[in-house]
Amino acid sequence: MRKFRSNWSQGDRERYQERSDSYRERAGTSYLSRERWTHQEVVTSPLPKPVATSSLMASSVDFKTYVDQACRAAEEFVNIYYETMDKRRRALTRLYLDKATLIWNGNVVSGLDALNNFFDALPSSEFQVNMLDCQPVHEQATQSQTTVLVVTSGTVKFDGNKQHYFNQNFLLTAQSTPNNTVWKIASDCFRFQDWAST
Amino acid sequence: MGHSDQVVRRRARCLDMYQRRFSNVSQPVSLGMHSSSHQQQDGDAAMQGAHMESPVRYTPYAISPFHRRGSFLKQDQTHVNMEREQKPQRRVEVNRPHGTLGSWFKITIPFGIKYDEKWLLNLIQNKCSVSFIPVEFHYEKMNATFYVENASIASALKNVSGKIWDEDNEKISIFVCPDGIPHSVQRELKPEKVEQVKLAVNQQQALDIQKLPIYSGMAENSDSMADEGRGVCVRWKVRDGNLGRGQYCCCTSRVPPCLLVFSSLLPGDFMTCDTKMAPNPRKGVAASLHAHEENIPKVMSSGEMDKWKGIEPGEKCVDRSPVCTTFLNNSSNINSILELFPKLLCLDGQQSPGPTLCGLEAHKRLPTCKGSFFGSEMLKNLVLQFLQQYYLIYDSGDRRGLLGAYHNEACFSLSISFNHGDSALSILFKYFKDNRNIKMLQDPYLRGQLLKHTKRDIVDFLSALPKTQHDLSSILVDMWYQTEWMLCFSVNGVFKEVEGQSQGSVLAFTRTFITTPGSSSSLCILNDELFLRGTSHQRTQSALFTLVPTPFSSSMPAFSQEQKKMVKGFSAQSGMNFQCSQKCLHNNQQDYSRAVPVLAPPKVCVPMTESGDLAGAEKPKPNSQS
Repeated sequence: MRKFRSNWSQGDRERYQERSDSYRERAGTSYLSRERWTHQEVVTSPLPKPVATSSLMASSVDFKTYVDQACRAAEEFVNIYYETMDKRRRALTRLYLDKATLIWNGNVVSGLDALNNFFDALPSSEFQVNMLDCQPVHEQATQSQTTVLVVTSGTVKFDGNKQHYFNQNFLLTAQSTPNNTVWKIASDCFRFQDWAST
Repeated sequence: MGHSDQVVRRRARCLDMYQRRFSNVSQPVSLGMHSSSHQQQDGDAAMQGAHMESPVRYTPYAISPFHRRGSFLKQDQTHVNMEREQKPQRRVEVNRPHGTLGSWFKITIPFGIKYDEKWLLNLIQNKCSVSFIPVEFHYEKMNATFYVENASIASALKNVSGKIWDEDNEKISIFVCPDGIPHSVQRELKPEKVEQVKLAVNQQQALDIQKLPIYSGMAENSDSMADEGRGVCVRWKVRDGNLGRGQYCCCTSRVPPCLLVFSSLLPGDFMTCDTKMAPNPRKGVAASLHAHEENIPKVMSSGEMDKWKGIEPGEKCVDRSPVCTTFLNNSSNINSILELFPKLLCLDGQQSPGPTLCGLEAHKRLPTCKGSFFGSEMLKNLVLQFLQQYYLIYDSGDRRGLLGAYHNEACFSLSISFNHGDSALSILFKYFKDNRNIKMLQDPYLRGQLLKHTKRDIVDFLSALPKTQHDLSSILVDMWYQTEWMLCFSVNGVFKEVEGQSQGSVLAFTRTFITTPGSSSSLCILNDELFLRGTSHQRTQSALFTLVPTPFSSSMPAFSQEQKKMVKGFSAQSGMNFQCSQKCLHNNQQDYSRAVPVLAPPKVCVPMTESGDLAGAEKPKPNSQS
């Protein structure tokens, strides 16, 4: 799929958005819920370019933009992630970077191969996310690689096990092209709230 | 919009096609793989109507690949007769309403949103050997999609995939999926279809389950059907209808399982497996099928199973010639069947033993939960030291000291969750106004407001929160990311509010820190997210807070006997080496000497082992140093 991601102009992007949006309104949701199999990614509009300025007002405007961007990415991401986890488990690792790590109740899983095996071995799940919070990560930590901290909480029921409350956080990192942004998981930390009694 | 006009025009064209095709049933319609004749069957009188098209019963036993439709019909005849004699009322008919559910295929061009509709369709048509009429062309997310009504056309389109290029010289792929029904068609036919389906389902439920072992297989994850040569695989999809989306398989354990593959099974279709009817039990299973004839099942040998690997659901419809093969003995078959179909409901007319009894789900266990995870000893010490210092100030009553811990442009946000019953509600209520839950909060202004930015704002906010007492002896730390510029970890633990209305109440927290190396080998906080919830162990948690303050003052010699004992104890409990513990305590001592209220350092230890049982009330009393 990657080979298709050629450069689009901003105008094209908007036009395409309009194309798919207009159909979506007519068709209704049940029809559309079917197709997510073509590619499993979290894609948002291009990131705002950082503006070099010394004015405090301007920099706070930039910050607000980063916050909005982070919120949108986080929302989109969380929807896709948990749905994929529940219904299309095999596609889940497409959301991870190659060198991503997962710490699952203290178990470390590192790299795509290990992640694939791990998710394969995990029983089928039913997630319910009740809380979502996110923050843009300061560039000093990321060396200007746009990153978002996503924190979620809710309940999960794995097949054959009782329901657990869980807390999870992700580090989402943006892979930008001039015309869109693809978000991938650099790191994932998951814990049952009652892990000690399991 | 031009787009919808085109759709309307196409729709009109399609309806014409429908009318032409179905008004004259007797005329054989040769459309590639479509049936060339139909067979009228008896059925429930209620289901017979003016609509003529009826399904063909199919019997796949003892059919060699060389037999084509002609011989099927003959065998159908015999089977029909036998069935009729037995229990005619059991047959379910679906007389399909006018023009319903032909064989629609959904054609998808990934990233097709880039291409103009006309340009794209022309390009495809030029390359495609068969002329096609795209129905309901539209863009769906990033893809271009349309429908065609014919299996051979769909197949031809599939062949075009990868043979056309766009203006940037990138290959264009075409994906074909057999279960798409254009929205317009669906809408047109809906009322009648619902009626039919209802009748079909009701009938079905009345049928003897002995005769109709229908199983719910894995819906979307059934790609891995290869079972190492122990049998073949069957699955079919039910398009819409009250039977639910999913894949069904039919198999029996009395003879080696014969599994049949259908590309699509229409609502009301079902499968009868009757082993007695099999002329040669070793050869397979007699199955009669009420199905639209183009859904001719395909029986695969175990060797062919490998072909299934990696095949997307949409791609398996191409070969429709039925084949029946021999199978292996059935002793191992039950398990292999159940392995393939963990959601098996019924086997041989009896309730399936269920995955747990067969030990299926036992194959998939949750990994054992472990305690804290640190990347390395050095990082562990760093983080623990940081946390000790942080919470020392945090619990001191004056949080302004935290200004030194945060970066100038740090971010902080708070979120809460009401999980553990009403007891937590009143305690958490005071945090409610600052709760930043993006899931519930849509207003971008509020989303921005609730995120505290800059260390001054953050510390001001934290200072306004109730005074707390954290139990560092029971914290759990997950260090989940580190680079040379960044160290990220999450702290799980409990704390007590020591002032205010909810004095004495215990809350659980998960605090996520993203830090960067700061000055003097300390950590500087860039992002801080605090999540609060009630705890279900209100009473037992209070046992954790039995702190015995041990006063340290600068007048005391650096390492007294008592201190050495404490260091030893601390070291033993925390797993840190002796020197490091010493250093840790030493640092704290210096802090203490600044007349900050004391939390006795021997209590500060973090479960390092993997037993995972240290975070509960079973923790030994802090004072014991054994």
